[in-house]
Amino acid sequence: MSAIANEPGIVADAPRKRSRGGLVWDVIKGRPSAAVGAVIMGIFLFIAIFAGVIAPYSVHTQVGPVYGVPSAQHWLGLDDGGIDMVSLLLQGARVSLIVGFAAAFVATVVGGGVGMIAGYFGGKPESVLMRITDYFLVIPDVPLMIVIATLWGPSLSHVIFVIGLLLWTTTARIIRAQVKSVRERVYVKRARAMGASHWRIVFRHVLPQIAPLLVANVVLTVAVAIFDETALAFLGLSDPTAVSWGSIIEHAFLRQAISTGAWWAIVPPGICVALVIMGCYLVGQAIEDALNPRLKVAHLSVRGFRLRPLVGMDKDTL
Amino acid sequence: MRGADYLLKRTLFALVTVFVAVTLNFVLFRALPGDAVSNLSHVPHATPALRLALQKEFGLDKPMWEQYLLYLKELSRGNLGVSFATQQPVWSQLRSKLANTIPMVALGTAVAIIIGIGTGVLSAWRRGTVTDHISTNTAIAFYAFPTQWLGLMLLILFAGVLPSVGMHDPFIVGAGFWASKLDALKHMVLPAATLALTLYGEFTLVVRSSMLETMGEDYVLTARAKGMKSWTIVRTHALRNAMLPTTTLIALSLGYVVAGTILIETVFSWPGVGQSVYNSVINRDYPMLQGAFLVLTLSVVFFNFVADLLYFRLDPRISA
Amino acid sequence: MRKSFVGAALALALVSAACGGNGSSSSTTGVSASGGSVKEGGTLRIAAFDGIDSLNPYVGVNDDSYAAYAYMYPQLVQYDPQAEFIPEFATSWTHSKDGLTWTFTTQSGAKWSDGQPLTASDVAWTFNNILKFKDSVTAGSAGVVQHLVKADAPDPTTVVFTYDSPVPAVLANVQQTSILPEHTWAQYAAGDGKALKTFANTPAKDTPTVSGGPFMVTQYQQDGTTIFEKNPNWYGTPPHIDRFGLEYFSNEDAEVTALKTDQIDVIENVPPPSVKTLQDANFNVFIGPASTYRTFIINSSPFKKTNPELMDPQVRMAFEYATDRQQIIDTAWLGHAQPGTTIVPTTAGIWHDSSIQPLPFDIPKANEILDGLGFTKGSDGIRVANGHPMTYDVLFPGSERGAGDRAFQIIQGGFQQIGVKLVQKPAQGVYGIMTAPDNKYLNWDLAMWNWTPPLDPDFILSAMTCHSFGNWSDSGYCVKAYDALYAKQARTVDEQARQAIVYQMQQMVYDDRPYIVLNYNDTLNAWSHGWDGFVQSSQGLFSALDKQSLIAVHQT
Repeated sequence: MSAIANEPGIVADAPRKRSRGGLVWDVIKGRPSAAVGAVIMGIFLFIAIFAGVIAPYSVHTQVGPVYGVPSAQHWLGLDDGGIDMVSLLLQGARVSLIVGFAAAFVATVVGGGVGMIAGYFGGKPESVLMRITDYFLVIPDVPLMIVIATLWGPSLSHVIFVIGLLLWTTTARIIRAQVKSVRERVYVKRARAMGASHWRIVFRHVLPQIAPLLVANVVLTVAVAIFDETALAFLGLSDPTAVSWGSIIEHAFLRQAISTGAWWAIVPPGICVALVIMGCYLVGQAIEDALNPRLKVAHLSVRGFRLRPLVGMDKDTL
Repeated sequence: MRGADYLLKRTLFALVTVFVAVTLNFVLFRALPGDAVSNLSHVPHATPALRLALQKEFGLDKPMWEQYLLYLKELSRGNLGVSFATQQPVWSQLRSKLANTIPMVALGTAVAIIIGIGTGVLSAWRRGTVTDHISTNTAIAFYAFPTQWLGLMLLILFAGVLPSVGMHDPFIVGAGFWASKLDALKHMVLPAATLALTLYGEFTLVVRSSMLETMGEDYVLTARAKGMKSWTIVRTHALRNAMLPTTTLIALSLGYVVAGTILIETVFSWPGVGQSVYNSVINRDYPMLQGAFLVLTLSVVFFNFVADLLYFRLDPRISA
Repeated sequence: MRKSFVGAALALALVSAACGGNGSSSSTTGVSASGGSVKEGGTLRIAAFDGIDSLNPYVGVNDDSYAAYAYMYPQLVQYDPQAEFIPEFATSWTHSKDGLTWTFTTQSGAKWSDGQPLTASDVAWTFNNILKFKDSVTAGSAGVVQHLVKADAPDPTTVVFTYDSPVPAVLANVQQTSILPEHTWAQYAAGDGKALKTFANTPAKDTPTVSGGPFMVTQYQQDGTTIFEKNPNWYGTPPHIDRFGLEYFSNEDAEVTALKTDQIDVIENVPPPSVKTLQDANFNVFIGPASTYRTFIINSSPFKKTNPELMDPQVRMAFEYATDRQQIIDTAWLGHAQPGTTIVPTTAGIWHDSSIQPLPFDIPKANEILDGLGFTKGSDGIRVANGHPMTYDVLFPGSERGAGDRAFQIIQGGFQQIGVKLVQKPAQGVYGIMTAPDNKYLNWDLAMWNWTPPLDPDFILSAMTCHSFGNWSDSGYCVKAYDALYAKQARTVDEQARQAIVYQMQQMVYDDRPYIVLNYNDTLNAWSHGWDGFVQSSQGLFSALDKQSLIAVHQT
């Protein structure tokens, strides 16, 4: 998802008018779709947290025949192990969301840190860090994910690590650009002149300014991370003991759900993934838009087809 | 001299990135857990004699730095090594796999671009209306569906109508030229369609937002005041300005799309690069995997470089 | 990929086989449906799942590759549907009383597809070539030339094998060996013979591969389709079909869809969930016993000191009581399997000891045993043994994905009820993990895998010997008494006497339980009504066991 900058730099901060409701109100007012997105996310978060309680059946026990058809007791039928699909989907929400958020968290912490250092200190550290970021960007991520998942063995923590490893770069670029712009602001310069330490400036001035951007970033990264986990599970490289939406699709694919006509084993998990990704996108996009309508930030892009953000392509990078 | 400076820097950057990619490639595949050779022998239970023979054959008994130099030397001669599984040169296999992937990807991307630009223009043109909302949200929705799932959905929908496997019907013996081309095209429809559906949303959003940008500019207001027709303005100003980010986006996407087709190729049994990456991982065919990985990385570097050039060429603000 | 050893065996074959093939049959029902007309000609389209990984018999390891070689090249003998040996390139054979000299009479006037004479000297060259490089290039085929001193061709229709020790499975060995054309291959055997493996053996534009069997390859694409055309110079019964093609599918769902939409004619391995789908769609579906079986492996290496409770035969017995074989068969295999018992499958006929019965699924009994051993359950329901909880990882190779995941879940559920926790650990290169370090088998406790052994039991019996460590052993089983029995059966000429020893060995392995054999799979294949005449074997209708199937098949 990207709204690419068609001017190379960050627009200097225009004075922002805040309405009385604050940022959240701005967001919702500006984009009603954000509300939709938030509701979707809310529903799935609720499901993920309470899956153990609200799931009607266990995901380890066979309750009927292989690929049982949808019925009154099993609204979405049974999978290839005779396990209730509804329970699988609810449980899958948990794993998919956990992996998504954890990987996004890793990516944001690493990327944010790198971007912060590069943007704040500039000069040598900046060009070194940015070069490293650039090199990481050209690595095709899905093949790399496959290789690492195979070499290190499939487990959820490895999956989280791998995805995080690939997604931090875009965050780094965005944060760096924003930090640079904040650094130039009058009050920061004044603080420096008064002898404030770097730590103080970062925590009191820079961080609050980029916090909303970080939040938007996390949300958008979650979308990509969930997609990546689904892809890895499909290829058999995620943790097989974990029930995720990706593994539900994988099992159905491996066990001839399509030619058996068991559409209920394959259609619902894809829809769930799509809803969550859409929700993430709507919310994240809305936050970014509200921050500064003229802030053209290249968002995290397509899963698997990563886009190098053109933001930050100011004269310093040439 | 700004222009030449920029070009030089980007070229240098591309070359260094290639070198880093090559080294990373080498290191990645030497960092194997357990005994590399027992992992690589395709025969599940190789005798000690066989394993030793394989080790010598693939130069794994030499020290790491010597292997690295050997690797670089062979690479400079275009030799990507020999596949463990088939005992045939990696490059010749990769070449035919690439020849399989590229047409399908090209078709899918082309369709994605057309649909993307079309819906983007439509959405910008009809900004704020129901049409805009439907168009934009559909784009987001298709983007959000997992690629492999989308492919499976198409399989379910078109099971009898379009072929679901492979690149062509291998059993049409003695068919005419056009008949076999048609057959190949029929096989390409579903995988290319999956790619197109997954990809187009991005283009839609980019075109739409950059067009909206332009349409909010002062000179557009002036043009309207002067009596220019809306559509003319859209065509001559907005669309043209939208082309810069769109073209760059296309170039960048191409670099990654080849890598991203692993999922599509698995679903449709398409014998391309993506599938060979996956198969060589499963079969522990490391030379093949290393070669495929390198080719993919290089394609990304290449297209990024092209994007840089395009950006430079199209954006008047950068050139000297 | 399934471990399939028809061909890549490093078997130490030391038992003298019966002369001319005999022995009572197994129950392979390979009779093809009769009735209906026979139309000549046509192209048979087969969907393959593993595919042909190489056309070079020194390189390929897939089941489909071996089947391809069986149709491209002559073998001295082949199996009939009752798993007996019948003539192929050899019309008759005898052996000396001491079993050290075997003489085969071969077809006269035979030709290769390129017109060159196909004679006994090609046979002799093939075997001598394997012998020459058995420590390097042809190491994968070394098993078939065990104890062979040399092969001679005194005249164009006579081959004489000289052994230094009686070899029991001579016929099984020669059945697996494809006779290659000396005039094409000899050039690659020069020097160190490395060229033997790099020769691709693929057809050129208008030149098919040089073949001696009923078909020759005219088109080959790895991971694509291979086309086999009728060989006009084939010395045997001409096939009815003009050609057949093997199309590689990377997923089984697509195979079923392709059969239903008439893009292919045959699926050689129907996945169990699709059997009903195809039967309902009114296709011919064949269900019969196969040589493949699934194992739950308990590391038995005497070097391993960790988790000693797993070496206790009582614990292993409890494990078997906790394994619900029937549920596995019903859910993972949709009923298309039989409960497993010994390591020699039912398709091996007289060699399978049918008196061995599996333990029933009995949770209370299993709990009783473990209680009796003093392994009390902790607060989380998991028993404690030797100071640690009974929690174990189960190595899980990629070949077991799909049905194996379900089987694991069922086993896991059963073990949970007896207070043992299992964790599934998928891995690639499982064998490398198992043998580490230095072939001591120290780093794992449990695993799941499968075997498809050759019909002669020698191979699978050898996989449980001490000298198989780092070779074919995947269990670390090493018992001196067993090895002694193995050596004995390897020298026993008399079939009944050999059978008694083989039965004794099976009982021993069963009681010691390095494996819990979960189930013997069925061979499942399907074809459309336009075709008939397939000859089924324990490996389906396209296998390396015989040439008859695709010669007999015809359009209806």
